[in-house]
Amino acid sequence: MPNDLVSLCKPPISARERKFSRFFLFFEDLIKVPLFGCQHCGECILSSTAFICCQRCPKRLRNGPCGGTGEDGSCEVYPERKCVWYRIYFRSRRLHRISLLYKLNKIHNWNLEGTSAWLNVFKKRIDAPIWLVRNDKQRVKDRIADDLQREA
Amino acid sequence: MTFKEKLESKQFVWCGEIGPPQSCNGDAIRNKAKYFKGFVDAVNITDNQTAIARLSSIASAKILLDEGVEPIIQMTCRDRNRLAIQSDLLGAAALGIQNVLCLTGDYQKFGDNPEARGVFDLDSIQLVATVAQMNSGFLLSGTEMKKAPEFVIGAAANPFAEPFEMRLIRLYKKINAGAHFVQTQPVFDLEIFSRWMDRIVAMGLHEKIAIIAGVMPVKSAKALLYMKEQVPGVKINAEYIDRMSQAGDPKEEGVKMAVEIIQTVKKITGVRGIHLMPVMWESIAPTIVQEAKLT
Repeated sequence: MPNDLVSLCKPPISARERKFSRFFLFFEDLIKVPLFGCQHCGECILSSTAFICCQRCPKRLRNGPCGGTGEDGSCEVYPERKCVWYRIYFRSRRLHRISLLYKLNKIHNWNLEGTSAWLNVFKKRIDAPIWLVRNDKQRVKDRIADDLQREA
Repeated sequence: MTFKEKLESKQFVWCGEIGPPQSCNGDAIRNKAKYFKGFVDAVNITDNQTAIARLSSIASAKILLDEGVEPIIQMTCRDRNRLAIQSDLLGAAALGIQNVLCLTGDYQKFGDNPEARGVFDLDSIQLVATVAQMNSGFLLSGTEMKKAPEFVIGAAANPFAEPFEMRLIRLYKKINAGAHFVQTQPVFDLEIFSRWMDRIVAMGLHEKIAIIAGVMPVKSAKALLYMKEQVPGVKINAEYIDRMSQAGDPKEEGVKMAVEIIQTVKKITGVRGIHLMPVMWESIAPTIVQEAKLT
């Protein structure tokens, strides 16, 4: 059976909901744009990227930095910027949320682009945010042990 | 013995690399193939590397197959969305291509078409997962295939880019997504590379994946300096630059250096192969492989 690599549009988004979504998005933007630099992907993974929007990466990578991060953490495309994933890594370490970086983030569903992520969480299209992470180091160890065992 | 069989039986593998020409001259690939035939187990075919439009990697791979050299096609996410990636992969499988290296791809700004629109629909880890799913008989949509491809899935790793820990997490994700082998960026700093390998061995990841270390022979100190300054995410030990600039015959020194690096890297626990990437200098590959295998 195929695993869930892509988050599907289930339930499908109706025209009415899209309109409603715009209303939600207005309030979402008030918070997410100034605080996190939200790019409106509609499939928010902010909570697993230490509250920095990974979609600001020029390649829009959802699973970690490309191979071009400079020694000082600069982005290869815009050297004057810091690599978004470089910042995510160090903030994850500070907030003890490294274990969340081990998760494979799904392939982006472009149907969700420009919709309200809050509404999508409510409709169970996307995963709910993870607020609290306890025992981060232990979780990393458990995760590795689990995965190694599962495949063996 | 094919590349796949060698990986499965945990033998030491040798890979080469060929960059297709910026024209429709198939003979250029046939000529380069001669330098690798019999010396390496498989040859990487780059997919529009550094975002410069070139002869397609799948077409070049077919030419290599006809020449009797096993190809590893590189597949980047820069130029294709998920539809094109799946269709190209199925096409490659139908042509008898078995090995695919999944990459995100260099940003279009660095190439000859900087005005281009980058796609980046998937990233390299999602691409690895996609190919793994296709191997299991399903397309991304969930449609079951009548005949599933049997790709050997490769991924890339860059131990030399920052942040160091994040590189390990990414490698871990790639292994979990289903990669069979990983090729690293060229090693020019043995200290960082062995530190990276130590961590992999400590995590037990070397048992799950074949790590193939990249080695790039260079012709001159200028080439090294260019790599250091222009290619993002590459670290070069100053000692090598000094050696190259002081050498009487830089080409000979370049060969000596590459052989030295190969011999040191080979001895590190967990390294299961060498990926030789003589960019613009394919003719040197036989000499290096022979010398490195001798001693």
